[in-house]
Amino acid sequence: MKMFYQGIAIAVVVTALAVAFVPGVDEYVEGTAQRIVGSWAR
Amino acid sequence: MDMIKRLVTIVACLLLIPATAVLTAAVKQRYADGPNRFFSGGPLVAGDMHTGAEPDWSFVNEIVTIELQLVDPPRSRRIWTVEHGGKLYVWSGYMGTTVGQWWKGWPPQAERDGRAILRIDGKRYERQLVRITSGDILDGITKAITDHYPSRTTRAGVEAGDVWLFEAAPRT
Repeated sequence: MKMFYQGIAIAVVVTALAVAFVPGVDEYVEGTAQRIVGSWAR
Repeated sequence: MDMIKRLVTIVACLLLIPATAVLTAAVKQRYADGPNRFFSGGPLVAGDMHTGAEPDWSFVNEIVTIELQLVDPPRSRRIWTVEHGGKLYVWSGYMGTTVGQWWKGWPPQAERDGRAILRIDGKRYERQLVRITSGDILDGITKAITDHYPSRTTRAGVEAGDVWLFEAAPRT
């Protein structure tokens, strides 16, 4: 389990950095969130 | 029981990754000049501010979305718009649903303080949002909406509060 937690911590940090700094990643995240919330609202 | 607890922990940890992605994207957009598609943005800064006579708003019928910022709170979002009878209108759907009320925070804020800035084709306009809840004019406005967008907005929907409709009137 310890390795799993370490992997999750690394994944969380990498995700945050990718969304913050890699062009296009934030737009992908936004488009996905929009589709999901839009389907809930209908 | 330990197995269930461990399973819940694993699922929660895995959900932390997409949650981090969404939160980071939302925070990043909050500091940007204007919104993206879904997350609200910061104040609209770039673009000349329109001064002078009231524009001929018919040009917005060729535009898909505009940027709308409230003065208080100073956050912006991308929305649909139509012109009808020489006036400009914006609206928010899904207001009759729980998710819609959680998602669309700006309509109640606009009802409290309607001062707004629109940015259309890179130009900014100071406006006053005035909610319209009834009246025969809704027939024409909702027809303009459904002619322009794949929308099921109806007069009954506006009158029932499922759609909050505002005229973007001149700031007095």
